[in-house]
Formats: sequence, structure tokens, C-alpha cells
Amino acid sequence: MKLSSFQYLVGQGFDNVWKNRVMAFASFCVLLVSLLLVGISVLFYVNVNAIIGGIEDKNEAIIYLLDDTTQERVAEIGDTLEMMDNVSSVSFYSREEAFNDLKGKMSDSAEIFDSLRDDNPLPDAYRIRVADISRMDDTIAAAERIPDVEYVSSPDSFIELLTETRRVVTIIASAIIIAMLIVSMVIISNTTRASVFSRRREISIMQSVGATKSFIRFPFFIEGMINGFMAGVFATLLTWFGYDSLVKLLGKFSVLSTIGLGNIIPYKRIYLIVMLAYIIAGSLIGAFGSVLSTRVHLKYRAANM
Amino acid sequence: MVELKNVSVTYESTGVEALSDVSLKVEDGEFAFVIGRSGAGKSTLIKLLLKELDANSGEVYVNGYSLTNMKKRKIPEFRRTIGVVFQDYRLIDTLTVYENIAFVLRVIDAPRKLIRKRVPYVMSLVGLQDKADCYPSELSGGEQQRCALARALVNDPALLIADEPTGNVDPELAYELVELLQGINACGTTILMVTHAHEMVRHFGGRIINISEGEVVFDEVIGGAEVEAE
Repeated sequence: MKLSSFQYLVGQGFDNVWKNRVMAFASFCVLLVSLLLVGISVLFYVNVNAIIGGIEDKNEAIIYLLDDTTQERVAEIGDTLEMMDNVSSVSFYSREEAFNDLKGKMSDSAEIFDSLRDDNPLPDAYRIRVADISRMDDTIAAAERIPDVEYVSSPDSFIELLTETRRVVTIIASAIIIAMLIVSMVIISNTTRASVFSRRREISIMQSVGATKSFIRFPFFIEGMINGFMAGVFATLLTWFGYDSLVKLLGKFSVLSTIGLGNIIPYKRIYLIVMLAYIIAGSLIGAFGSVLSTRVHLKYRAANM
Repeated sequence: MVELKNVSVTYESTGVEALSDVSLKVEDGEFAFVIGRSGAGKSTLIKLLLKELDANSGEVYVNGYSLTNMKKRKIPEFRRTIGVVFQDYRLIDTLTVYENIAFVLRVIDAPRKLIRKRVPYVMSLVGLQDKADCYPSELSGGEQQRCALARALVNDPALLIADEPTGNVDPELAYELVELLQGINACGTTILMVTHAHEMVRHFGGRIINISEGEVVFDEVIGGAEVEAE
């Protein structure tokens, strides 16, 4: 194809958006709604994950050591913990530190603590965080097997709850995203087919004067891409507005941050990826949806000539 | 050149035999009228010549192409050697007169220079030079038909097929249109004009191919009104 023909066909694609504005607007709306349905589902999933992740990050297990463990042995246990598979961080929590913390928390009984200062009953300990919370049980069991470890403390039931919540959310969110994708594809396919069908006369004229299939399809490709691009831009703006408004609204209820809603991802941190995803997905779905519908129409016409 | 050898066409959906063992030959530079009543098989013949339809048996040759086993990718290339004027004009509503005509040249990747030169020329040939920027909906029936004719002529086809070109225009304009086609034929373009305006055919005379119930029942050259007057 010559450059002049390419320019002509691109120009035709742009012209067609205006000339067939009713169908173009219908395609735009369908694409916009589809992008929003899928986009919001994904953002919902990502945020639920972030909230759960934020809660998980606060979780740690404490490894208490036996009272008469030597300093050398304490250091060795630290090294062993650091080398363990699922452990992401290890920090030493000395008996003095534990004593002062406890004293701070129970300031009303400061006198009792002062009398115990020379005879601190608390053991040395390590605080560990795990990389994969679903494997916390195995990690704790492994830590308990280390010699000189007295016992390990961890919020078992809470971890189980979080793991279960994440699993359920993943299943529900995946089902919603897949359902939305299918619904969107069906709607988009029908709308672009209707758009192509409304121009069957034009297509048949093009064929009768010897236009090749690619020559016929190219303006539809450009047209679909423009519609998709515009839908992507509008979806970005609407999501931005909706997302920001929701985050501001939730921010007013400080109590929500205690259940992890403070971990909602701010829009400015994800706007670029959201914008690119919307625009690229919109443009590609629009362009290839149009081409596919034209292709189906041309095939149908060829078979029924 | 157009040649049909023992061509039969039966529509699968209805079982109707539209053409039955038809053989005919139209030489380069000829002007032939194809006449016949509705349902006689004229439209089937046109579809066959445009490769919009395949024959069940027999062979079809148009402009040096054998249509019998033509590959799909060859069809656009073949169609570019034919100019077609349809009864319902088949103009693209969203394009101006100029763009409708130029479209055929754009399809064949013609240089811009040629488009700028050739389109105004054919528009002046059919008397539409002042309507370049009009849309089909802004033209009269006769003007739309002339626009369709200009589009058919713009890439200088070897064969021009006119399907009932006078069907939607008044008699005076119809005669003008045939005279225009005769002028084009005089420049060497083969013309096949399908019509059921028997009066007009008798007036102009020439080669008449009469199709009835899917068969060629008459194929002769007759003298026109002017010849008879002499």
C-alpha cells in the first residue's frame, strides 16, 4: 500500500467516526461501560488484596528463648532464623527491651517493675515476619524445633482468617472479572456487528469496484481504534473522579483505618498504569472488534453471494 | 471480451434454474443490449460476469480472466477491469460526487496526480463538473446515474456493464444516457447494457441478446430507427 493510500484510509477512518456518529457513539458507550466494569472489578480486587496485605504485614511471630541461653547461642539462633525459607525479617527483642516495653504499658505498676529490675523474669526473643502468611504454621513448627527455643507465639486464628479471606476474595473477584470480560466482549461484538451491518451497502459497493478486503477493513480498524481510545480516555477520567471521591469519603471515617482501609492504594500511585491499561485495552478492543466484525460480514457476504 | 460456454446456474435455495446452457460471445469493442422480462436471468448473468456468483457448470471468461476457478484473492484485481453502472446507482452516501468517483482510483492505488487529472475529466464527460462537492442525496436521479457512470468509467475499463441504467430516469434522459454510452463505446470500450426498455432498444438498434427463462432465445444485430428511416 502506498503512503498516499495509507493516509487516505486513515483519513477515511477519522471521517467515518463523524459520518457514522450514531453508531460510533453507541460503540463508544458500550466500550466505556465495558472498560469501567472490568477496570472497577480489577481495582476492587487489587485494593482488597492491598488491604489484606497491609494487615498481614503487621503480623509477626515471636520466638522466645530459654532463660539460660548464652549470648553466643542467641546469635546462632538469630542466624538460623534468618536462613529459614519463609522468614522475611528477623529482629532481636532483648529481655531488657521487653521489660521496658511492659513497664511502659503498665505504668500504674511501675513500682513492682522497679523491684524486679535486677531479677528480670522475661526471656530474650526474636521477632520474625514471614513472606507467605499461608505457610506460617510450617514456619512456626520449624522455629519450635530449634534447640533452646522455649516457645513461639503467633495469632494463629487471625492468620487463618486472613488467608481464608484472601482466598474467597480472589475467587469472587476472578469470577466477577471473567464474567465482566465475557459480558463486555458479547456487547462489544454485537455493537460492532450492528455498526458494520448498517454499512453493508457501502461495503458491497467497495467490493464491486474491486476493493481488497484489507482496503475495506482498514478504515473500520482506524474507526474502532478511535472509538476505543476515546472510551479509554473517558474511562480513565471517570475512574479517577469516582476513585478519588471514594477514597476521600472513606478517609473521613478514621475508624475504618483500624480495619485496614487505610491501605487503599491512592489514585496518584496507580493513575499511569490505569490510564495506559484503559487506553490500550480500549483501542485494541475497538480496533480488532471492528475488524473482526467486518471480517465476519465479508465472509458471510462471500458465502451468500 | 466476454464469453460464456454452456453455462448453467441454479439457485440452491430455491432450486430455480436461472441460466440454462447459455453460450454467447461479445467481442472487444462491441455494444450489445441484453433484454428480457423480469426473472428471465439478466441479473444472474450480470452477477456471473462480476464474479458475485459461480456457475454450476460451463465456463465464463471476462477480459482474459477465467472466472470458473478464479481464486478469491484474484477477484478484486479482476473487478478493476470492469466498470459497472447499477440501476440503483450504488453511490456511497457519505462521499461527495468527486470522492465517489475518485474512490475507484484510490482502490487501485492510483497516484494523486492521476486522480486530480482523471476525476474532473470524467465528471465533465458526464456533465457533472459543477456538482463535484455535492453528496448523492443532493443530486437528481439522472445526475446520480451519471455519477455512477463516471465512476464506472474513471479507471478506463475494458468492459462496461450497465444494469438497467435507464430504469430510474425519464425517457429523454434515458436516450441521452444511451447516446453517451455509444460515444464511450466508440472510444473502444466494450459495453453490455441490460435493459427491458424494448422501445429504446429498437430505436438504437445494434446487437440484441434476448434472454427468456434462462436461455438465449435471440442474438442478432438489428437496424435502429435511423437505419430504418433511411
